[in-house]
Amino acid sequence: MSFFRELFGGRRERSAETAKKRLMMVLVDDRYKLTPELIEQMKLELAEVLSRYLPHVDADQIEVSLLHEDDNDRLHAQIPLRRGQHGDV
Amino acid sequence: MARVITITSGKGGVGKTTTTANLGTALAMRGGRVAVIDADIGLRNLDVVMGLENRIVYDIVDVVEGRCRLRQALIKDKRLPELCLLPAAQTRDKDSVNPEQMVDLLAQLRPDFDFVLVDSPAGIEGGFRNAIAGADEVIIVTTPEVSAVRDADRIVGLVEAAEKGTPRLIVNRIKPRLVSRGEMLSVEDVLELLAIDLIGIVPDDETIVTSTNRGEAAVYDQTSLAGRAFLNIGRRLNGEEVPFLDLSDQPGMIERLFGMFGRRRS
Repeated sequence: MSFFRELFGGRRERSAETAKKRLMMVLVDDRYKLTPELIEQMKLELAEVLSRYLPHVDADQIEVSLLHEDDNDRLHAQIPLRRGQHGDV
Repeated sequence: MARVITITSGKGGVGKTTTTANLGTALAMRGGRVAVIDADIGLRNLDVVMGLENRIVYDIVDVVEGRCRLRQALIKDKRLPELCLLPAAQTRDKDSVNPEQMVDLLAQLRPDFDFVLVDSPAGIEGGFRNAIAGADEVIIVTTPEVSAVRDADRIVGLVEAAEKGTPRLIVNRIKPRLVSRGEMLSVEDVLELLAIDLIGIVPDDETIVTSTNRGEAAVYDQTSLAGRAFLNIGRRLNGEEVPFLDLSDQPGMIERLFGMFGRRRS
């Protein structure tokens, strides 16, 4: 099957790669119970806390992801900041 | 004083019992005094894998409930006088022993042995709790499959929560050809996912079927690559630095063995 699939150009990812990607997703969920809804909730609360210190933090602009680096799981948050004038809070 | 090492996995059928039998034998072959305990109460198996099923008189529940002394329940291995087995009960349920009783039992064994290996039942319930209760170290056995790796990850969390340190990993039943074709998770993939230290890589090997059929450990079989892998793990447990077997895609097991002999001569 896979031979013919490759022959006719419908090349599929190797199953080991698929397995690894699926496991990465599953393990994050198993370890941290971090559902997409909870991530959205976390973004809102992050924005709320950060807004006390920084101007214009928008929850919709925050990107949160879990990375696995150097044998450690890391929570990575991208928080775009907009420059504001002093006093413009 | 013995080191108590629990062998566990979460998922069933990944090779815990075979691993326990072979590591116990490997450690005893190198002169260690070793006790192996079957903690899978109700589903006794370590005795048949070790070929000792006809010698059982008492079991772990008899000891815990005071029907015999610990010494009476320990069964000597057929070949190695310093290796013995404490069998599980077959007719009782898994709640017949509790974690405190397990810790007491291990305390009695510790002074007389160098290693005590505990073969954990599958799952994360009572039997598993018993099996890790008295452990100094934990070894997790997994196979390169999504379900086994997922369960292993769960076990890592539970072992760490029980303050047993970070467990070490054996990746069992690796098929080098499938790995090289990209159709099986590699040892590196599994390590990256689980993020724990590796203590052994065991290739998928038909000789395990034969040795289990006969009730003999694979480590006795010179032709068994898996047996060789288990011997190496035993040496690592003894603190030796032993390189992992090179299982990269090979012409075939036979050629590989000849290659090994060739290297040994030189």
